Amino acid sequence: MKKYGGWAGKVLRVNLSDRKISIEDTIEKYRDFLGGTGIGYKVFWDEVLPGTKPFDPENKIVFAVGPLAGTGAPCNGRTAITTLWPTCWPKALIGTGHMGGNFAAELKYAGYDAIIIEGKANKPVWISIVDEKVTINDAGHIWGQGIRRTTIELSRILGSEASVAAIGQAGENLVPMSVVMNSYSHSAGGVGAVMGSKNLKAIAVRGTGGISIAGNREEWERLIKYHLSLLGANNQHVVPNSPQPWAEFYDPASRWLASKGRAWGASSPVIETGPCDPRDLNRIAYRTNNAAFYLGEIAWKYTVRGSGCTGCPIRCHTMIKIPSAAAKYGIPEIGMNTCGGLNFGRSFFRNFPDGMRGLTNVEACMVGMHMADDYGIWCNYGQLQRDFQKLYYEGIIKNKLGEKEFKSYSWDKYEKGDPSFLFELLPRIAFKEGELGTALGLGTGAHLERWGLSESEWKKDPKLNYWKMGHPKHHSNEEVGQCGVIINTQYNRDAQCHSHTNFVRNGLPLEVQKRLAEEIWGTPDAVDGVGAYTPMNVGKARMAKWSLLRKELHDSLSLCNWMGPWVASPLKNRNYRGDDTIESMLYTLATGDRKSREELDLIAERIFLLHRAITIRDMNTKEMRKEHDTIPDWVFYDPQKRPVYTKGTIHLDPKDMELAMDMFYQEMGWDRTTGAPTYETYRKVGLEEVAKELKKRGLLP
Amino acid sequence: MDTQKDGYETTEKGLGSLLEARFMSRRDFLKLSGISVIALTALNPFIARGGAGPLIIMEQAKGLVISEPTRCVGCRRCELACTEYNDGKAKPSIARIKVGRNMNFGPKGLYASQNGQGNWGNGLIIQDLCKQCPHPVPCADACPNDAIVVSPPTNARVVDKEKCIGCKMCQKACPWEMMVFDSDNNKATKCFLCKGSPKCVEACPAGALSYVNWVDLTREVPPRIAQVVVTSPEKGSSCNTCHKKR
Ligand code: SF4
Ligand code: SF4
Repeated sequence: MKKYGGWAGKVLRVNLSDRKISIEDTIEKYRDFLGGTGIGYKVFWDEVLPGTKPFDPENKIVFAVGPLAGTGAPCNGRTAITTLWPTCWPKALIGTGHMGGNFAAELKYAGYDAIIIEGKANKPVWISIVDEKVTINDAGHIWGQGIRRTTIELSRILGSEASVAAIGQAGENLVPMSVVMNSYSHSAGGVGAVMGSKNLKAIAVRGTGGISIAGNREEWERLIKYHLSLLGANNQHVVPNSPQPWAEFYDPASRWLASKGRAWGASSPVIETGPCDPRDLNRIAYRTNNAAFYLGEIAWKYTVRGSGCTGCPIRCHTMIKIPSAAAKYGIPEIGMNTCGGLNFGRSFFRNFPDGMRGLTNVEACMVGMHMADDYGIWCNYGQLQRDFQKLYYEGIIKNKLGEKEFKSYSWDKYEKGDPSFLFELLPRIAFKEGELGTALGLGTGAHLERWGLSESEWKKDPKLNYWKMGHPKHHSNEEVGQCGVIINTQYNRDAQCHSHTNFVRNGLPLEVQKRLAEEIWGTPDAVDGVGAYTPMNVGKARMAKWSLLRKELHDSLSLCNWMGPWVASPLKNRNYRGDDTIESMLYTLATGDRKSREELDLIAERIFLLHRAITIRDMNTKEMRKEHDTIPDWVFYDPQKRPVYTKGTIHLDPKDMELAMDMFYQEMGWDRTTGAPTYETYRKVGLEEVAKELKKRGLLP
Repeated sequence: MDTQKDGYETTEKGLGSLLEARFMSRRDFLKLSGISVIALTALNPFIARGGAGPLIIMEQAKGLVISEPTRCVGCRRCELACTEYNDGKAKPSIARIKVGRNMNFGPKGLYASQNGQGNWGNGLIIQDLCKQCPHPVPCADACPNDAIVVSPPTNARVVDKEKCIGCKMCQKACPWEMMVFDSDNNKATKCFLCKGSPKCVEACPAGALSYVNWVDLTREVPPRIAQVVVTSPEKGSSCNTCHKKR
């Protein structure tokens, strides 16, 4: 058989019920699905029967990475985790979570592209993987401990270079809103309790092997440098957020924060970021500071440095040092995270004594991070905190809790914005203590059901960002109009797609974006200005398809979709063009399997369609348009009642959105009435067997 | 050079207690290896045989990669550049710059736990680099096959793959654990300065590495391990030739 680079070559299967450990050949079995979510979906289609519930031993967990994980391809650090999603409501369906950190690379160096976990251990265990040596071990001594302690104790056994993916008490206690976490700050939501249900505390990996690059090494080096030259800051924002000597444009919303005069103030001694000219590849790591992006200027003086995944120059995790938080709350003075994790604690509060951009806000982040990342609590992309605020300020919590429980919380502290309130709340979520803790840990869908609240109320409130099936929007009409809405209809949790938003938010002026859009999607009309929308057109449908395929491609190759695609760049001499063939060039050189952009797109479509097929099979309906691809009411509503397409509004027209779905289904080759892919569409992407099976079940249009 | 056929003996002397207390100075090293050598020469029948002299490296490397830990963001792109561009594979375990091992808990490892360095400690990530040691070069001296040789244009010492038999003596000899061993080909490898434009320096997105004119860092940087002095008798005797003259 041909020898490929890129892939490690083996998939590890661990059955916790009978403790059987076996190895499969990646190339033989999974090459047509690349890796990552591709392997995950394949396993679920083939092996997990419809009707299986998340905490059944028959549910599986697939930790999978792709051929680029662990290589020098920029931004390859995320592990895709596929399982039946416990917060997907009312019926749990397939979902994926993605964690960065060092786990993906370490797994590859150990010799594996994926780990398939099946069954259920009869008592708590952890899995040790040291190169070819794999063992299932007793976890009695770490069960009940937080993620931090678990990591330290297992690192003592495997050595300090190991990567440990562990659950905290929340996962052990089967709290659906729980994470698995590795490398201090990198988590994947939803997965924690599924691991807990299998009595699996952690997977610890140490790898000393290598991944061969099939192509010529000088060519590989040139390609990597070329790719690096196209990188922007986090989320592929390609212009700085303030005027810089090198930059023609700037955009205050950009994550490219570096500037003369801005510095990592808690580094010893201080390091100035400087203006970070994009041609200087030795300064990429200074462009992004997500602590300052989310917390404001105040964060600069507390910034120690950037941090992030193996092999990624962007460093979207920011390490901050807050001695006052350590002194007041008895937590470590240093912490790091990005986005949801960074904002976890502060987002519960509506105000702080010193305002929303003061030190208390930062301290609330620190308290939240240290607790949530140790107990392993998930925020569901901020829905936990948005729900909490609404439930409290509308008096619902007071109504639903017994007086004794209600009084056991210091609500005065909460209203004042005292971060110590989190010490009362978060442990009760992790340990399912009391009604409030238990309900919050369920996730929005099951929580609303438990309290007899109506989901349709949630779908009306524009401030809640709630979308459907227990989950919020993830870059929808607030940024990308109809295209964003289409993307948000497609998954069984928040959409987790950045392809579209990374383009429209890249900071380039609309004329430049339109010029690029014409090259990529055949028409400048594919993009509108943010909040300056125009009616639907075919370019937007093409952009939606392209975005979804890029997402699945990235999640399967192991490229970070939070950073890609790279179709725009910061380079004026390229007219700000990026390169849509980067993925295929990286894939071809790394693996030695020559594939054009179009050929890879076809595989991406295969992977995306398999997700669709599993969803259809498990929902047991082909009526996807009506029952799955739904849009919440708030998308069509403007609180100020302005007409649709007025500049500054983000709401859309329901009829136009129907047209948008029509055009999207057509672009995908799906049936417009049902929104289900046709036999022919499955066949074209190489899923004829899948089509036959769905046909048998009466699930084809 | 046919030292291997001539037969050789090595002596290993752990200097743990000495090294733990403070940095080893070059003179300490000489003195101690001198002692072990004297003991050996007394026993060694080959000493009088003459023949081709053992390899002693007197040339000094012209350059050196130095690092600034406060800038390091722990991305390991340096390690990946080192092995992908030189060896055609992503294999940090053979990278000639070492970040991963200090990244989580710092050079003291887990025993410092959250009070140490690295991501779990104070955030500082130390990059370990080859010092391109001046004579006597511990790794080269330890090699029983004289496989670690000077290579122009940088005069860095490099492992001659033809000569290396994979005995790992050099690994034990380097106080900074900078000799790595590639399990794929059973050969040692070390930093060879990429013909004067080190890949790691080019690759660092934080500008934490620089290639500079050689300076002696062997006195500055604390060793990572209790060094094991490994000297073949031939080399020992040639040390004596120079160093015992008063
Ligand atoms: S490998 Fe070690 S002993 Fe050899 S030159 Fe480098 S630092 Fe010195
Ligand atoms: S490339 Fe630079 S920042 Fe990254 S690990 Fe190496 S020295 Fe540190």
